[in-house]
Amino acid sequence: MTTPLTLTAGHRPDGTPLLTAAGEIDMSNSETLAEAITATPGHLVIDLTAVDYLDSAGLAVLFTHAERIEIIATPLLAPVLTISGLTDLTTVHTITHDSAEPTG
Amino acid sequence: MARFEDAEDAAVIDVFAVDAEVGRDLAAVEWAGTPLGAPAGWPQSLRTAVSILLSSKFSMWMAWGPELTFLCNAAYRRDTLGRKYPWALGRPAREVWAEIWGDIGPRIDTVLETGQATWDEALLLFLERSGYPEETYHTFSYSPLRDDTGAVVGMLCVVSEDTQRVIGERRMATLRDLGSDPSVVRTEQETLAFAGQQLGRNLRDLPFSLIYLFDDGGARLATATGIPPGHRAAPATLAADDLPAVWPTAAAARGEAESVELDGDLPSGDWPAPPTQALVMPLLRQGGSPYGFLVAGLNRYRPVDDGYRGFVELVAGHIATGIASARSYQAQQRRADELAELDRAKTAFFSNISHEFRTPLTLIMGPVEELRTALAGADKRVQEELEVIHRNGLRLSKLVNTLLDFSRIEAGRMQARFEPVDLAALTAGLASVFRSAIEKAGLAFEIDCPPLAEPVYLDPGMWEKVILNLLSNALKFTFDGAVRVSVSAREGHAEVVVADTGIGVAAEELPRLFERFHRIDNARARSNEGSGIGLALVKELIGLHGGTIAADSAEGRGTAFTIRLPFGSAHLPAESLAPAGAAAGVSATAVPYLQEALRWLPGDAEPPSLPSGAATQARVLIADDNADMREYLTRILSEAGYLVEAVNDGHEALATVRAAAPDLVISDVMMPRLDGLALVAALRADSRTASVPVLLLSARAGQEASIEGLEAGADDYLVKPFAAAELLARVRANVELARLRNHHIRWRTALVDSLQEAFFVCDEDGAVIEINAAFTDILGYGPEGLPYPPIHPWWPDAETDVEAHKQVAAAFAALLDERQGSHTIPLTHRDGRRVWISATFNQAHDPDTGRRVSVGTFRDVTAEHHAIQRDSALASLSTRLSGATSLADALEGALAELKALWRAQDVVAAVFDQADAPTVTATDPALTWARLPVQRRERIVDLRESPLLTPISDHTGAGIVLDHPNGPMALWVELGDHRPFTGEDHLLLSLLAGQLSQGLGRAHQIDQQRETAIALQRAILGPSDLPDGFAVRYQPATSRLEVGGDWYDVIALPDGRIGIVVGDCVGRGLEAASVMGQLRSACRALLLQDASPARTLMALDRFAASLPGALCTTVFCGVLDPRTGDLAYCSAGHPPGILAHPDGTTRLLEEGRSTPLAIRPGRHRPEGRYSLPARSTLMLYTDGLVERRRRPLSEGIDQASAVVQDGSDLLVDDLATEVMTRLAPGGGYDDDVALLLYRHPAPLEMTFPAEAGQLAPVRQALRSWLDQVQLPRQQAHDIVVAAGEAFANAIEHGYRHNPGAPVHLRAEAFADNLHLTIVDQGAWKTPQPEANPHRGRGVSLMRALMQRVTITRTATGTTVDLYTRIT
Repeated sequence: MTTPLTLTAGHRPDGTPLLTAAGEIDMSNSETLAEAITATPGHLVIDLTAVDYLDSAGLAVLFTHAERIEIIATPLLAPVLTISGLTDLTTVHTITHDSAEPTG
Repeated sequence: MARFEDAEDAAVIDVFAVDAEVGRDLAAVEWAGTPLGAPAGWPQSLRTAVSILLSSKFSMWMAWGPELTFLCNAAYRRDTLGRKYPWALGRPAREVWAEIWGDIGPRIDTVLETGQATWDEALLLFLERSGYPEETYHTFSYSPLRDDTGAVVGMLCVVSEDTQRVIGERRMATLRDLGSDPSVVRTEQETLAFAGQQLGRNLRDLPFSLIYLFDDGGARLATATGIPPGHRAAPATLAADDLPAVWPTAAAARGEAESVELDGDLPSGDWPAPPTQALVMPLLRQGGSPYGFLVAGLNRYRPVDDGYRGFVELVAGHIATGIASARSYQAQQRRADELAELDRAKTAFFSNISHEFRTPLTLIMGPVEELRTALAGADKRVQEELEVIHRNGLRLSKLVNTLLDFSRIEAGRMQARFEPVDLAALTAGLASVFRSAIEKAGLAFEIDCPPLAEPVYLDPGMWEKVILNLLSNALKFTFDGAVRVSVSAREGHAEVVVADTGIGVAAEELPRLFERFHRIDNARARSNEGSGIGLALVKELIGLHGGTIAADSAEGRGTAFTIRLPFGSAHLPAESLAPAGAAAGVSATAVPYLQEALRWLPGDAEPPSLPSGAATQARVLIADDNADMREYLTRILSEAGYLVEAVNDGHEALATVRAAAPDLVISDVMMPRLDGLALVAALRADSRTASVPVLLLSARAGQEASIEGLEAGADDYLVKPFAAAELLARVRANVELARLRNHHIRWRTALVDSLQEAFFVCDEDGAVIEINAAFTDILGYGPEGLPYPPIHPWWPDAETDVEAHKQVAAAFAALLDERQGSHTIPLTHRDGRRVWISATFNQAHDPDTGRRVSVGTFRDVTAEHHAIQRDSALASLSTRLSGATSLADALEGALAELKALWRAQDVVAAVFDQADAPTVTATDPALTWARLPVQRRERIVDLRESPLLTPISDHTGAGIVLDHPNGPMALWVELGDHRPFTGEDHLLLSLLAGQLSQGLGRAHQIDQQRETAIALQRAILGPSDLPDGFAVRYQPATSRLEVGGDWYDVIALPDGRIGIVVGDCVGRGLEAASVMGQLRSACRALLLQDASPARTLMALDRFAASLPGALCTTVFCGVLDPRTGDLAYCSAGHPPGILAHPDGTTRLLEEGRSTPLAIRPGRHRPEGRYSLPARSTLMLYTDGLVERRRRPLSEGIDQASAVVQDGSDLLVDDLATEVMTRLAPGGGYDDDVALLLYRHPAPLEMTFPAEAGQLAPVRQALRSWLDQVQLPRQQAHDIVVAAGEAFANAIEHGYRHNPGAPVHLRAEAFADNLHLTIVDQGAWKTPQPEANPHRGRGVSLMRALMQRVTITRTATGTTVDLYTRIT
């Protein structure tokens, strides 16, 4: 049994490739995430607002592609992203669940 | 077998699926063949009932339908059904429980007819679940089951088995009864009768029992219980070699227990059928062969398991202990009686002898002496008869003196003066006195006394008595052959042998030869005279010298007495040593011995002639500094028949006269130190010596010198040189004159000296100026020291013995001021020992001087005083022992008593309990065997070899051996150097040791009882396995018990909720505990049946109303949902629960309150509800925790609340300890206390395999627990991430080579913080960050998210601890 994770590839209204993740990311499924990111070359926006859990295995995948990705996440994940130093390499937009627009 | 293929059977699977195992077997039943039909057709009501049944963890069975078809759950199968499973499933209940249908059938009928539930507590049922009818006890309730229409069609039974508890309590009661009232001392017979009576009260465990005691070569029946005497299984005697015996006597005698198969007609006790097996259990004796054995007929309805066997063993142990203490008591009693009797007889006898004989003897012998002188020229026949009177008077004096010697030795008053003597010469001289008598008897007399290399210290007067007695004895019993006396040195001792070739002594008489008043009957002797006391005295006298005497004899061949005396003086008390005296000749003591011996011989009775003259002669004291003159005077006076003593000067003369006044003093005028005139003056100045005649010798001629002498008070005056004849004439004249003149004084002196009481005269300043012989006997101070001015030397020391000194000073003040009086006071004997004196005095006037004097007497009441002291010592030891709570406590207390009693330096007890070294208990707690000085260890080891209860003493202290339950115990009282340990002390020590031995036995018995009781009590105390989150404490007020009337209970209910009960029965101890046990069980069963606190207590009301002692019990009963913290509760008069919130506030659970149990049965009880906030702590307790005298209860509750609040960050178990410690009153709890703590939520504890796939569910579990802890969402998420990293670490590193091994998680919440522990058993490799860069990132994540992280790696695994404060 692996941790539930749904990955949906699409595009933002402005045409930027978008990968939307829902569920939890840990060592059991980080490889799936890595494959999905690798599948889309170039600039990629990854929407993690529906991810409840992200651990160091998931972070490792994001770090690998830090230069070409942009991340949208809830405040829940903010400490993990900040502490790991990912926010220094990548643009992270933190949004609350209620608001539809990125706030930062 | 049924098949599951059929579609309709899908329903069956549903119904039975709740329990995999029993469900499968239920499914396998051919239901179609039962009145219930196939499960597919079962009504909903039946399905519901079955699924309740199967899902319950509590033991249940149910019956349904017209035949009451039987179904049960897994718990019932395990606990009750036994071998009947699975046969019973689907059968009619009547068939399943055929053997108990008589008991349960009517109850089931009642349920079916009335629809009312039944309740039975601990009902006896004979179940045949193990292949035999088994005695079992069950507490159960039958409640009706209704079908879909509401009609009663079946019943449900909820049951808990009480067999172990009921039987355990029953056995405990028997053991308790057996050990009850141990303070009553019984004879062996009474003890066994009592034991039999107690066993007779438990004919269930012991349908019949027999106690056999071993006696010569066999065993005799002492007690039979449950079986008539004379029954073939209870023969009155069993011979050891009688094979085949009814009982295995030989095995029991070897101390082996044996099991015996029984058949035939035997009593059945409380059961319908007799035992089929008996246990034969030896009654073991410590350190010896068994006393006997116990035959216990066994209950055939119970298995003979370890518990049963252990019970019979304990019963046998009790009986053996009872016999041991009865026998030891009897032996002790006998010994004490004998000692007391001997003491009484002896004291009476000696008092009479001395008082009744001595005075008349003095009054006979005085006049006889006078008559012999006066009638010297009279008729020969008159003279002969006077001689007869005289001789027999001497014999009687000798006997009385011997008896008085005994009396003195016994009282410790014998004043020995040990001086170094030439033993060979002295003994040879004494022996030669008997030469003429022995040779006259036709016997050879051999004296072989070569000189010894060194002197021997002895008291010449006593030695004389020893040798004369032995020779007199030899002569008396020897008719042919020889008497031989020899002296030699052998093995560091001087050895003196007095041997004869006489009639000898029979071997069986030898051991009693030295016994007092023991005479050998029908022995051929030269005379039948004799008191049987001579040899006893000899033994005592030699004992005083530190020597030994042994007799070796063969009948018809003769007897040899061998005396061994140590050389040197180390073995003798230093204060009794004296320098070598003048080699005195044989004294007057020999006269009566010799005269008596000669009377035994045929022929005429010639008066014996002694080297130093006859006994009746006057004593003359010569004082002259010129040795030639002394020798000359001594020679002429001795030749003339006087007893002569010579001294060097006036000083010595004065001392000698004061010690014993002679008939005449002849003194030179010119002498150093004190001259003759001064001597006369000093003698005249002292009333005791004023009348002693003095003849002065002077070289100065002339009338003036003569007048000067006579004026000074001399009686006569002789000028040197003088003729012998003139001297003798003057001496004779003076002696006769003085005798006439001093007649009344001599009588007075004789009478005063014959008084048994000490007599003294004091002058008006309090100086003692006259004393008698008894005074010297009692206090050790003789007339040579007169006068004794105050403060007298016999006063107790003012520094070291303040109290005694004060008492004497007060009595002395009274003596000076008052006309008469009487006091009992402590005085100090010259040898340092304490003497208790009853003093009486009267004032009088000296007729000569007109001065006031006090005349008084002292009576020695030391013995009476000691008797009182003995009684109080025994009473005080007894108090100590009876207050002791354990064996060690009893021994420590007793040692302290002994130390105080003898004012000892310390007291040591060494128990030889088969360990490598003896176990030491001492008044100095630092002492161990290893720390004892080597000499004391050796002395204690030697002591252990001595006979039981026989005191042994030396110059450092005294010891005794007694029985300790773990083996022989040597007890040593260290007194310090040269403190006397008297005969009184010996008696007291042996009595105390006997009492101590019994007391220890009793304490040991209590210890054993307590151990048994505790084991059994633990069985009825609350559950030992608590759900997580709970902590409990129990402390009974009665320290000897572990249970009391208070209880707690935590019950896992079928729906996942938890029942919590804390209650308090009225009273304490065992009685309250038994009520408690029943209420606890009932409450538990009720809660399981219906998880409503109010209804449970209402049902308990009815139950308690019928249970004696249950009235007014208070109970707090709650049902807690551990998931939500919702608590429903009801309190029957119980103190409110305390709830400490994490915000520091406290709430008391005061709703749902009503009266204590059974006050108003049937009345509705309210219920309170409260939802425990996360991280709050709940405390339930009984009033013993908070109730104190003179303090309102609310104050105690406030105090308790504060302690719980303070401890909100402690583990609940640590908090429980803190509460018990901080609330304990100064002297410990004086009431039972039960305490129950719960912190919500309970810690999360889970173990999962180390696989990546497990991560999500584990995180989910942690998340939902964190919800219960009510953490902010963000913090909860951070914790999940940190823990997730720890899990990932365990999976990646810990189990790289061992995937799927267990990982353990524990999470616990406190008021303000949280603690998580993740433990794996993996062999961690050194982290290699380059290989797995994101792992290093994981650890830093943990550290960043948590307050504190510790990672501990060991060979057996890794532990990660995460701490965080709750924000």
